[in-house]
Amino acid sequence: MNATEPTWVWPRAAYVHVPFCAHKCGYCDFASLAGADHLAERYLAAIGREMEAATGGVPQEVDNIFVGGGTPTRLDADQLGRLLAMIRRWFPITPGGEWTVEANPGTLDSAKADALAEGGVNRVSLGAQSFQPDLLRALERNHAPEEVGRALELVRPRFNRWSLDLIFGVPGSTPENWVDDLETALSLGPDHLSCYGLVYEKGTALWKQWNAGDVESVDEESERSMYEFTIDRLEREGLAMYEISNFARPGHDSRHNLVYWTNDAYFGVGLGAARYVRGVRSSNTREIFAYLRRLEAGLDATGPTETLDPESRARETSILMLRRTQTGIERADFARRTSFNLDDLLGEPIRRHVSRGLLEDDGSRIRFTREGLFLADTVLCDLL
Amino acid sequence: MAFDPKFIRNFSIVAHIDHGKSTLADQLLLQSGTITPREFREQLLDDMDLERERGITIKARAVAINYVMDGQNYELNLIDTPGHVDFHYEVSRSLAACEGAILLVDATQGVQAQTVANAYAAINNNLAIVPALNKIDMQAARPDEIREEIFSTLGIDPAEILSCSGKTGQGVPEIFRAVIDRVPQPAGDPNAPLRCLIFDSKFDDYAGVVIYMRVVDGVVKVGQKILLMAGGTEHDVISVGQFRPHQVGVDELGVGQVGYVTANIKRLSDVRIGDTITEALRPATESLPGYQEPSQVVFCGLFPATHNQFEDLRTALQKLALNDASFTYEPESSDALGFGFRCGFLGMLHMEIVQQRLERESNLMLVQTAPNVTYEILTNKGETSLLSNPTRIPDAGEIEEFREPIARVNFILPSENIGAIMQLCEDRRGTYLKTEYITTTRAILSYELPLAEMIYDLYDKLKSATRGYGTMDYEVIGYKASDLCRLDILVAGEKVDALAIVVHRSHADRRGRKLVKKLRAEIGRHQFEVAIQAAIGTRVVARETISALRKNVTAKCYGGDISRKRKLLEKQKEGKKRMKQVGNVEISQEAFLSVLDDSDD
Repeated sequence: MNATEPTWVWPRAAYVHVPFCAHKCGYCDFASLAGADHLAERYLAAIGREMEAATGGVPQEVDNIFVGGGTPTRLDADQLGRLLAMIRRWFPITPGGEWTVEANPGTLDSAKADALAEGGVNRVSLGAQSFQPDLLRALERNHAPEEVGRALELVRPRFNRWSLDLIFGVPGSTPENWVDDLETALSLGPDHLSCYGLVYEKGTALWKQWNAGDVESVDEESERSMYEFTIDRLEREGLAMYEISNFARPGHDSRHNLVYWTNDAYFGVGLGAARYVRGVRSSNTREIFAYLRRLEAGLDATGPTETLDPESRARETSILMLRRTQTGIERADFARRTSFNLDDLLGEPIRRHVSRGLLEDDGSRIRFTREGLFLADTVLCDLL
Repeated sequence: MAFDPKFIRNFSIVAHIDHGKSTLADQLLLQSGTITPREFREQLLDDMDLERERGITIKARAVAINYVMDGQNYELNLIDTPGHVDFHYEVSRSLAACEGAILLVDATQGVQAQTVANAYAAINNNLAIVPALNKIDMQAARPDEIREEIFSTLGIDPAEILSCSGKTGQGVPEIFRAVIDRVPQPAGDPNAPLRCLIFDSKFDDYAGVVIYMRVVDGVVKVGQKILLMAGGTEHDVISVGQFRPHQVGVDELGVGQVGYVTANIKRLSDVRIGDTITEALRPATESLPGYQEPSQVVFCGLFPATHNQFEDLRTALQKLALNDASFTYEPESSDALGFGFRCGFLGMLHMEIVQQRLERESNLMLVQTAPNVTYEILTNKGETSLLSNPTRIPDAGEIEEFREPIARVNFILPSENIGAIMQLCEDRRGTYLKTEYITTTRAILSYELPLAEMIYDLYDKLKSATRGYGTMDYEVIGYKASDLCRLDILVAGEKVDALAIVVHRSHADRRGRKLVKKLRAEIGRHQFEVAIQAAIGTRVVARETISALRKNVTAKCYGGDISRKRKLLEKQKEGKKRMKQVGNVEISQEAFLSVLDDSDD
C-alpha cells in the first residue's frame, strides 16, 4: 500500500551502514570503529532487528540498496553473507535494481567477493583514494596502491558495475601528481568515478593536525586546477560529470546517490545511519553501545530528527537537485514534488547568479555553468 | 484624601553601575512590606528584558512605599534612576522630583566615576544626601578606606556614612531612619493652582500615555481637566495612582506625592518631559523649571538588510519612539544602502539597545553604519550648519571651519594606570586638564577629548588598560575648530557613501591605510578582484586588493546525511545575511562597522 505513495514520501531505496574498520582514516568523519570487530555479531543481530522495525515487519521492496561504512568488507565472508540475507529479507530488490557495497582494497578477498556476488550485490564501490604511497599515508589509509588493481581482479569477473573513489587536494599533493592519480585510475577502465575534494572535517585527526598548523592545505588555485582537470579529462574519456563529484559513462550513474540528489525518500539502518521517511529526516546515534543496547532492548536508536516545513523542504530540494550537473532543477519536476513554483520561491537568487554567470537557465531547467561548478557553495547557500 | 506632606519623603538612589542600587531598592520594598518576600526578587524595578540582561536600569520608575517609624506612617517615594553614563540626563530628571538622594557606594569597589557624577548632580539639585556603603557583608568590603575616599572626593563627613547590605537587608532600617530624618518634607501649597512636574512617561497599549509626575502645588484628581503648560493641550484625567510597585489607582494626589496620571493621550510625543501639568480651569501663572532636552551625541544610519523592509523599519521606529523619546530618526537615503534612517542616540549603549529592540521586537534584520558625532561646519559663504552624516559634509574647498564636539572626560582609576590612559588620550588628540588624588592609589584624571575619539571604544580601552578598575564619565561641553577632513572609501572604483568617516588630517593617511586593510579582511572574496581605496578628495591615500574567489565547492559525499550538508551551507549563509550589495560587491555589516575600529589587529 505504501508503494502507491510518491518516491519522495515513501522510500524506494535503502542505506545500510557497517561501521567496522581495520583502522580509522585521518580524514574520516563517518560512524566508524577500529578494533571493534568483536562486536560484529551483536551488531548484525541489532541491525536485523532494526530492519524489521523500520519495515514494520512487512518487507519493503526497493529499487536500490547501498551498503556503506566504515568498511563493510571488514566483516568476514560468513558475516557478510548473513547481512546480505537479512537485507534481502526486509528490503527485497526489484528486478534490475542496483545493489552497491563499498569495499576497501585492503580487506577484499575472493571469499568475500563471492559472498557479495552470491548475496545479490551487483555493484562495488572501491575506495582507492590515491595511488601515491605518500598521499595514502597523509590520508592514513592502510592499503598499498597496488592493492587496488588486485582488488579489481576480484571485482571485474563478478560484477558488471564498479566504481572507484579518489580524493584530490590531499596535503602534499600537486596538480601534477593528481594528474598521475587520475591517469592511473583511468588505466583501470572504470565506468564510474567519484572524485572528492578533501574536506577537513572538524574533530577528525587530520583536522586536528591542520588546525595545529602541522598540515598545510593545498592552495585554492591548485585545488581549482585539479578539479578543472578532472572534469575535462574524464569528459574526454567518456565519463561525463553528472554530479559535483561524480562521473560516469552513460547508464553507469549511481542510482542510489541520485535518490539523495532528487530529494527522494530512503530507509537508513545501522550505526549513525540517516534516513528520510515521510518528510522526516533523522539519523541514528553514532555511539555503538547506545545503538546496540537500544536495539537489544527493543527500542529504536534514532537520534537527531527534523521535520522541515514545506518551504524549507522545497529549498532543500533545490540545492540537492542543483548538484546534478546535467539534470539540474527542472521547473515542472520541482513544482510537482514541492508544490512550489521555482520562480516564486527562488527567482531572485537564481536571476542574480544567472547574471553573474554561475547558473544557466534555458527556460525549463536551471543548471550550473562551468564557472558555477567552482563556486557551487556560494550559489547553494543563497537558495536556502 | 491627600497624604500630609509633613510625612512624605521623596528620594532617589544614585550609584555607579553595579553598586547594588536595584537590590537596595528591593530591600526597601521588602522591609516596608510593599512587596512580599515572594515578590522580592532581583532587580524588581527593572521591568524590561534588556535591562535585566544588562543589569542596568534604563527608564526612571517611581514606587510609593509606606513605612511606619516610631508609630508614624510615612509615605516614601523612591524614584529610580538609570546608572549608565549614556542616561545621565534621566538622572537629573529624576532628581528634580526629589528632596533627597541615597548615595550608594560599593564597599568593595569604592568611589567610581558615576558615583562622583551622580553625587554632584544631586548636590547641584540641592538634594539632601544620605551616603551609604553597600555590600558591607562581603569579605572584600573596606568600609574605612571607602569612607575616606568619599570624604576626599565629595567632602562628605565619614561619620554620616551609613552601612548596609542590599542582599541581607542589614542596615536597612537605619537607612529608612536617615531618609526620614535628613530628607526635608516637600514644600508646596495645597490651595494654590495645580502644578505637577512630569519627570517621565511611558506608553501603554490600553491607557495611552502614562505620565509619571510629582505634585508640587494643589491636588490632581480623576475627572479634572488638565493643561500641559508648554504643550498647550488640554486633557481629561482618566486615572490617577501610584506604583506600589504595581499600579494602584487613587482618587487624588496632593502636595509632594508622586505617581501617575493617564488622560487618554495617544502619543508619547504629546507629553514633554519636564513640562508642568496644571488645571485647565484654574491654571498656574508660572510653570515649573523644566529640563534641558536630552541631546543625541551619537548618530548612525540604520537600514533594513532587505530592501523591502523599509516600511517595516519605519513602523518599528515609530513604535519604539512611543516608549523612548530620547532617540531621533529621520529618513535617509544612501547610494550604497538604499532607504533607511539616520538615528541619534544618547550614547553607544543607547544605540545598541535601540538596535536590539528594533530587531527583537519587530523581527527586522538591520545593517548599521559606523556611529559618528555631529559636526558643525562653517562654509566659505559664512553659513553654519550641523551635520550628523559624514556623507553630507561638503568638499574641503567649501569649508571655512570644521568644528567637532568636545567632551570633558573624568576617569577614576588606579594611579598606576594613569600613564597608560594619558597615552591613550594623547593619541586621541586629548587636552590634559588635571589629576586629583582620591587616595594614594586612586586618582581622578580629567581630559578634554574630541567626542568622536571617545564614543566608539574608549570605555573598552579604559577597562582593559585598568583591568576593569577604571571608570569614566563625560559631558559634552561644546564645539571646537579642528583640522578635520572626510575620508572616502571606494570599493571596486565606486565611492561607498556609507563607509565615509571624518578624521583628523594628521591621522588621515594612517587611518586610511589601516581602514582599507580592515575592509580587505571584512569584505568577502568575490568572483573578481575587488580594489579598496581610501581617498581624501581626489587623493588616494591607501589601496588594497581582495583577490578573486576561485573555488568554493564542497565536492564531498555526505552519504544520506542531507541535514548535515544543509546545515553547513546554512552556516555559510548566516554570514551573508546582513550584506548589502554595492554595485557588484557585497559588503557585510562587520565591514560597515569596522571603519571605526582603530585597533591594530
